[in-house]
Amino acid sequence: MDRLERLLNLLAALIDTERPLGREEIHQRVPGYPERDDSFRRQFERDKETLRQMGVPIAVEPLIAHSPEQGTGYRVHQRDYALADPGLTPEELTALHLAASSVRFLGDDAKGAISKLGGVPVGEVDGANPAGVEVPGVEHLEACFAAIAGNFTLTFGYKGERRTVVPARLSFRSGRWYLSTWDVNRDAERLFRLDRMDDPEVGDAAPDAPRARVAGREPLAAWELGDDEPVPARLRVDPDQADLAVRAVGGRGKIDKEPDGGVVIELAVRNPEGFRNFVLGFLDHAEVLEPESLRSDMVQWLERMASA
Amino acid sequence: MSTEARLRRVLAMVPWIVAQQGPTIEEVCARFGCTEAELVKDLEGALFFCGVHPFTPGDMVEVDISEGRVWIRLADYFSRPLRLTPAEGLGLLGAARAASSRGTESDDALSRAVAKLSAAIGVDPDEVLDVELGDAEPGVLGILEESAAAHEVVEIDYYSYGRDSWQTRPIEAHHVFNSNGAWYAWAWCRKVDDWRLFRADRVRTATPLGEHFEMRKMPSPPKPWSGPAVGEEVVLELAPGAAWAIEEYPVVSVRAGKQGWRKVTLRIAGRPWLERLLLRLGSDARMVKGDANTAVDAASRILARYRTPEAAH
Repeated sequence: MDRLERLLNLLAALIDTERPLGREEIHQRVPGYPERDDSFRRQFERDKETLRQMGVPIAVEPLIAHSPEQGTGYRVHQRDYALADPGLTPEELTALHLAASSVRFLGDDAKGAISKLGGVPVGEVDGANPAGVEVPGVEHLEACFAAIAGNFTLTFGYKGERRTVVPARLSFRSGRWYLSTWDVNRDAERLFRLDRMDDPEVGDAAPDAPRARVAGREPLAAWELGDDEPVPARLRVDPDQADLAVRAVGGRGKIDKEPDGGVVIELAVRNPEGFRNFVLGFLDHAEVLEPESLRSDMVQWLERMASA
Repeated sequence: MSTEARLRRVLAMVPWIVAQQGPTIEEVCARFGCTEAELVKDLEGALFFCGVHPFTPGDMVEVDISEGRVWIRLADYFSRPLRLTPAEGLGLLGAARAASSRGTESDDALSRAVAKLSAAIGVDPDEVLDVELGDAEPGVLGILEESAAAHEVVEIDYYSYGRDSWQTRPIEAHHVFNSNGAWYAWAWCRKVDDWRLFRADRVRTATPLGEHFEMRKMPSPPKPWSGPAVGEEVVLELAPGAAWAIEEYPVVSVRAGKQGWRKVTLRIAGRPWLERLLLRLGSDARMVKGDANTAVDAASRILARYRTPEAAH
C-alpha cells in the first residue's frame, strides 16, 4: 500500500474521532499497518512524527477523562487543525502570490502557505516573476517566530549563558536577523542576534505586559547596540560623503545640512566602540564634533595608531 | 517526490476541490503545481481508498475523475486546509512585507491580503516583523531597474568603497536584485570593459543615455560579500578579540597562531578598504604581509583634521 494512503487514513481517523484513540484501537481501525505489534509501533511512531513535523497538532489525552493512569490516546481537534479561512479574494491571493514569487523569503515556505490558501490562481504563471529579492533565512528563525506567534517565552544560549525572554519582534537589517525581547531575568529590554543563539527552546505561555514594553523601533545600528545610557553625539561629514552618511544613518539620527553641502549628524550613542567604527568608515571625510569625551576617545585611538 | 510533500499537497487541494464542485483537472494542476498523472495517482490511487471506521460506503471518500473534471465527496475531515506552520506564516508575511516596501501596483490588494491573513494567523506583522531591504538615492533604483528591463545604457556616478573615490561609469545593467539587505546592479561596465557589481546605495546619480545595448551572455553575479576576485593579498595577525573580523570580511584563509592569535589572508579591494579595517582593529591587528605603514599613514591623515583649528565647527 502507498504510505500516502495510510497517512491519510490515520489522519482521517484522528480528526474524525470524538474521543482519544489508544494505540491498539488505531492498529485495528487504520488500514495499512503490519499485523505484528512491534512493526506496527515502529511505523506508527514514524507516521506520527511525519504528521507532527508538517504541523498537524496531535493531542495526547487520557483515554478515560481524569484518569491518565488508565492510559493515553491520540486525537486531532478540528479547531486546532484547521486554518481559519482568511476569506481572500482572488485578487488578494494573486497579490500574495506575486509577493511570494518576487521575494525569496526563507526558501519555499511561502509556496506551501499559498497552496493552503487555495493555490496559485489561474492566469498566473509560476516563475514568470523571478525572485529579485532574496531575504536569507537563518537557523532559529522559525523557533523565534513560533514563540512570537504563539505567545510563548523562549530560552536559548547566548555568549555562554542561558537566557529566557519574552520575544516581541524579528528584524532584518544589513543581512542580519535580530530578535527584540523582554529579558525575564534582567527585567529589561534586550536585543539578540539570531546567528549567535544556541539551542532555542519554546517555553510556556508568556505574560503580555513585558512584550508591550518592548520599544517601537529597533536600535540596530552599530552605535546603538549597547547597554550604556545614550549620549548625544554630533558628527560632521564632508560634502563628498554626505549622502552616503545620511543613508547609512537611515532615519536613526537628526541631520543638519551645512552651506557647503556637508552634513552634521546627531546620533544617540550607546556603544562608543560601534560609534568609532562607524566614523572611521568615512576615513578623513568625517570628524567627531561633540561631546568632548567621544572626540578625545577618537583622538587618543588615532594617536596610538599613528605612533605604533 | 516525498510522501510528505504529496500529503501536504493532497491536504491543501482537497478542500479547494470540494468547495469548487467539479473543477477541471487542468485548473487543479495549475493551481497546486502538479501533473495530471500525479493528480490521478494521489487522488484515485490513494485518497479514493480512504475512510474511517467502520468503513461503510458512507464513511469512505468518493473521488470521481471523469471528462476532464474532479469531484471529491464525503471527505468532511479534510474540509479545511491544515493551519499554516510558523515557517509558512513567517514566509508569507515576510515576503509580503518585503514586497510592499517596494511600492508595486498590487499594493492595495497586498495590504488587504496581509491584514486578513494576519487576523487569521493571529499576529500583527507591523508589530512582529521588520524587514529593511536597504536604501538608495530616490529615483536611482527605479532608473537602474528600468534601464535593465529596457536594455538601455546608464551613466552612474559611483562611489568605490574600496578605493574611496567617485567615478563616472557608463554601464549596461543586466540584473538588479536585492541580497542581504542591499540593492545591487550586476552590469557590464564600459569603463573597464568587464562585469562589475554595483551597490545601488553608492550610486549618487543615474542618467539614462538613450542608447540601447545588446544583452551579453551574463555570468552569475558574485556573492556580494565575497570580496574582490583579484587584487593584492595581505596577511594580518589578529588577536583573539578580533575574531569578529573573520566573520565580517571575506578572508582567503585562516591559520591558528600562538595564544589564540590567528593569521588571516585577505584580498583587498584597495588601500582605503584596508585602512578602514586596520583603523577599526587597532592594536588587535598586526601586519605581516603588506605595506606596514598603512595604518600609521591613515591615522595621521585623519588626526590632522582634529588638530587643525579651522576644521572645528
